Amino acid sequence: MTFNEYPPPEHILGDLGMEAELTTETTARVRTRVTPFVTTADGGVRAGVLATLVDIVGGAIAARVLRPDWMATADLALQLVGPVCGPWVEARGTVARRGRTTLVLEALVVCVGEDGSDTVVDGRPADPVAWASMTFSVLPARNPASSVQTATELPARWAFEGGGLDRPILEALPVELLDAAAGRLSVAVRPYLYNSFRAVQGGVIALLAEAAGAEALAAAHGLDSSGFVVTDLQIAYLALGRVGPVVTTARLLGSGPDGRHGAVVELRDRGADDRLMTVVNVSGVPAAQLAGAQT
Amino acid sequence: MTDGGSPAEAGVGSGADRRHHVSDYFRLERWELPPGDEERPSAFEGRSPLDDHTRGPGGGLRTGGLLTNLDTLGGFTSGLAVLPQWIVTTSLLATVSALDQVGPLRYRADVLRRGRASVVTALEVVDEGAHDRRVAAATMTCAVLDPGAMDLVFERPVSLAMPPPATVPQRPEEFFGIEPGEGAVTRLVLEDRLRNPWGILHGGAVAMLADEAACRAATAYSTAVAGPNGVAAADAVLHYLRPVRVGPVEARCRVLGSRAGRTAVRVQIHDVGSDDRVVTLGSVTVLAV
Repeated sequence: MTFNEYPPPEHILGDLGMEAELTTETTARVRTRVTPFVTTADGGVRAGVLATLVDIVGGAIAARVLRPDWMATADLALQLVGPVCGPWVEARGTVARRGRTTLVLEALVVCVGEDGSDTVVDGRPADPVAWASMTFSVLPARNPASSVQTATELPARWAFEGGGLDRPILEALPVELLDAAAGRLSVAVRPYLYNSFRAVQGGVIALLAEAAGAEALAAAHGLDSSGFVVTDLQIAYLALGRVGPVVTTARLLGSGPDGRHGAVVELRDRGADDRLMTVVNVSGVPAAQLAGAQT
Repeated sequence: MTDGGSPAEAGVGSGADRRHHVSDYFRLERWELPPGDEERPSAFEGRSPLDDHTRGPGGGLRTGGLLTNLDTLGGFTSGLAVLPQWIVTTSLLATVSALDQVGPLRYRADVLRRGRASVVTALEVVDEGAHDRRVAAATMTCAVLDPGAMDLVFERPVSLAMPPPATVPQRPEEFFGIEPGEGAVTRLVLEDRLRNPWGILHGGAVAMLADEAACRAATAYSTAVAGPNGVAAADAVLHYLRPVRVGPVEARCRVLGSRAGRTAVRVQIHDVGSDDRVVTLGSVTVLAV
């Protein structure tokens, strides 16, 4: 379904086949199927894809809680916790606090079966895949920027329908690699990536930051990008990316003996005077360190 | 909530021993930089030594201490950007990539976005003792508020010297009044020295509590999460939902999972004396060290 024509027929949310359900006035869940097109070398779902799930579940809750007002994502933090066991991953969101100008939400990402029940491992529900939180800025209803003027039409359940991915998600965007060591990637702004403001969707920004961080971290270790798994994203959304191309750069952080590595990724809108859109703190570990590791 | 600085902290009319304030316990020296361009309208730098009693099992400054310094510096930077209004911290997202800092540490804070209702500031920390290695990065969001009766007058550019070392060093848990509770609960006794100029618990004290509580919870979860030197907090996400006014304060933790030496701990902090309301929500990554 769409809200005032959002998302358009060919859209990343449709290709991810997301299914959403508002479970109460202040909770919701959104799930997507685990496919090889959204996973990393360790078999886990990309942090950027999970961030997209979280952004959508948060947006669904916020739309209901804040109506008739609207919202923009101000920050989003995602922390991978455990391995993905599929066949679906589901983000379950809930309101932490509704303030006058902001709304804070929390989400757990879990593995679920075909019937929507929690995946069981060794006789008990599997550990969460990820924990996330986000802050939304409240936009008064009179704000004309969004194509979505009201949330009163939100149904209890809906699905983003599309053809499905037929290639890895970064190829579907598509992302152009300019300089791996510098974490320089570029993506054109087009309707496939839009949010309801006709700017780059928040989950896509997370995907770009994840990819830029992985490229830079992997290059610093003589690996290709599949050799690094991003485990944490801390995203501060500063401005919309409307013109494009959106270009990323990464600045590496030093690392200690524990094997974790970090980078600060900036995204800029080249066509809008190189405006700084987003700053993302990225953490990751070599895939070899993560593979099969579980205490 | 940050203390965000105040005339008293800026050295205007304060004769108190600065080592007894939260923002000075970790001996953060700080100075304002000349205004930059429109994209970065306000900036500060800071520097702190690494005193032995503030080091954690990772070898460097306890992450709660690092977050305290980030909250102090970021709050000041954000507040000066919105004068005559002031700010209150609403979220702090911090990545600490290296725990084995040598010190001293140098800090930089830049306002990235100054809106009508909020300010976003980026922070970065380098380790001077390790060839200026970048050891942490953070973003901090503050809500803009009316300072009410608080008279915010600063001599610009603001500069605060490094507080002197403690004559009788106190461990952070002792200074912050942090005590173990039952199971995955850790408590903080709200003493007056932990309050900021607004009378509420300093955001750095909340961060220190989150650090200690998450490490205790991870250790209780499984001995397998610890390394030869135990555990230490690293990355942290803190959403300051409401001010802490009454106390005592309780951090209630849930270990979400553990993998490859990283344990994810959800931390929810309550003001017990204020109808047990939730004041902070976040997560801490605890590492085997």
